[in-house]
Amino acid sequence: MKRLAIAAAAAFVVLTGAAYAQTTTRIGTEGAYAPWNFVNADGKLAGFDIDVGNELCKRAGLQCEFIQTAWDTIIPNLNAGNFDIIMAGMSITDERKAAIDFTADYSPPETSSFLSAAATAFDYNALKGIKIGTQGGTIQAAYADANLKDGNTLVSFETADAALADLSAGNVDVVLADNSTNQETVASSGGALKVDGPQIPIGGGVGAGVRKADTELKTKLDTALAEAKADGTIDKLIVQWFPERGPGPYYKK
Amino acid sequence: MGDGIGFWLEYLTNGKHLAWYASVQYTLIAALIGGVCALLFGLGGAALKRSSIGPLRLIGSAYTNMVRGIPDVLFFLFFPLAFEQLIELLASRSVCSAADLAANVGVWPPCPAANWLLTQTEYLILAGVSLGIVYGAFTANVISGALNAVPRGQLEAGRAFGMSNGQVFWNIHVRQMWVYALPGLSNCWLLLIKSTSLLSLLQIVDLVRWADRLGAPNFNRSAGLIHPDWRWAYYLALLAFFIVLTFISEKVFAALTRWASKGMAVGAAT
Repeated sequence: MKRLAIAAAAAFVVLTGAAYAQTTTRIGTEGAYAPWNFVNADGKLAGFDIDVGNELCKRAGLQCEFIQTAWDTIIPNLNAGNFDIIMAGMSITDERKAAIDFTADYSPPETSSFLSAAATAFDYNALKGIKIGTQGGTIQAAYADANLKDGNTLVSFETADAALADLSAGNVDVVLADNSTNQETVASSGGALKVDGPQIPIGGGVGAGVRKADTELKTKLDTALAEAKADGTIDKLIVQWFPERGPGPYYKK
Repeated sequence: MGDGIGFWLEYLTNGKHLAWYASVQYTLIAALIGGVCALLFGLGGAALKRSSIGPLRLIGSAYTNMVRGIPDVLFFLFFPLAFEQLIELLASRSVCSAADLAANVGVWPPCPAANWLLTQTEYLILAGVSLGIVYGAFTANVISGALNAVPRGQLEAGRAFGMSNGQVFWNIHVRQMWVYALPGLSNCWLLLIKSTSLLSLLQIVDLVRWADRLGAPNFNRSAGLIHPDWRWAYYLALLAFFIVLTFISEKVFAALTRWASKGMAVGAAT
């Protein structure tokens, strides 16, 4: 019976393709965090992460493929080998560095900010009694948990879209997220939303995550990234996807 | 928010929506794999339950009772994961070096070479088999009950004509069993179809997951049409889809019942 089970399992593996063979480099992304990464109207992955990823792969001579995966399990999935790189607007933090390695940043450190309905006003120096929404597992969620927990209600959402939906519906009072993303949201909201309160400096720039053992891949990506930064390619992509951030320059020497 | 039929036609046929319509295939494939597996597991389970050998009977009842008692969501999450890790464990014995195994105690997978990447195809097959195991437990009970419902006299008549045990079982017992089993099997099939909505748990971007994504509010210009939360409309479309699927299934089962009742006195009653 046991031998039969093993034979069946082996046949299954063979039948469903060379599961262990690997020719392409796989990049995991969330696909639900515009303009960083999202599924566009054509049903394809698009966004800043995707453009930067393709650029780096081209320069490093890698054949790359993007894989859409849930945000909350993206780091365990990388470490399990289900893909080789994370490019999902992921900020470089010490906590994450304990689990994975990062390339240099491909988007400079930026602030986080509060997004709220246009008609509301809160005392951001002493927030009390309000509902604060964040996407779970983000640097903003960690920040809110450490600094805004007392007297406020923290609400964690699986996706950024869900947080915004509840903000629009009035179920939360403010959403704490990346400022650049917030600015894009406000610009698209037709005056319904605004960025309010202080700019909070958290996060150390956005980098591509790789397994700690994959030093060769990390070196390749870092070399390609340094080139793309120096010749202005990354700056061009930042301006293209984040017009609200201003013209830069960000990395170009 | 755009105007006119032309705009909506275009919006509803953009790449995202076409991908949504195409994802119907995952639901149908999983349902078919699940249905076939459920029937096989059901026949096997019923045979075990009715076996004259005690331990086999025990296995049969343990299967039907345990699996029926476990929430299908839990089983759906458990079985593919357990299966994947079992394969990885077996693979690790041959592809991992002893040094790797020693260095990676408490880490999964035991070594990178043993990692088995599950793509959508593998997940779809595993999902179908999981559905088959869960609903096989129900069908086993249905089939077992239906076998009991066939009048003893029919079987005795077969033996009196000199048929072998196998002939009596297949040509009389199983053939007549369908009439009693079909109403119960149709219930199982409909429950199975409904459970295919769990596919998105296994990273299969199926109907439900696409509806979720398409309906999710969009607040970004670069990601296409800006709209508020439209999930209700997409969920409504899903409701309609599943009702149509149910309706078609009912028709098919009605035809099967007519086939099974042919020439049977009891058939008229059901």
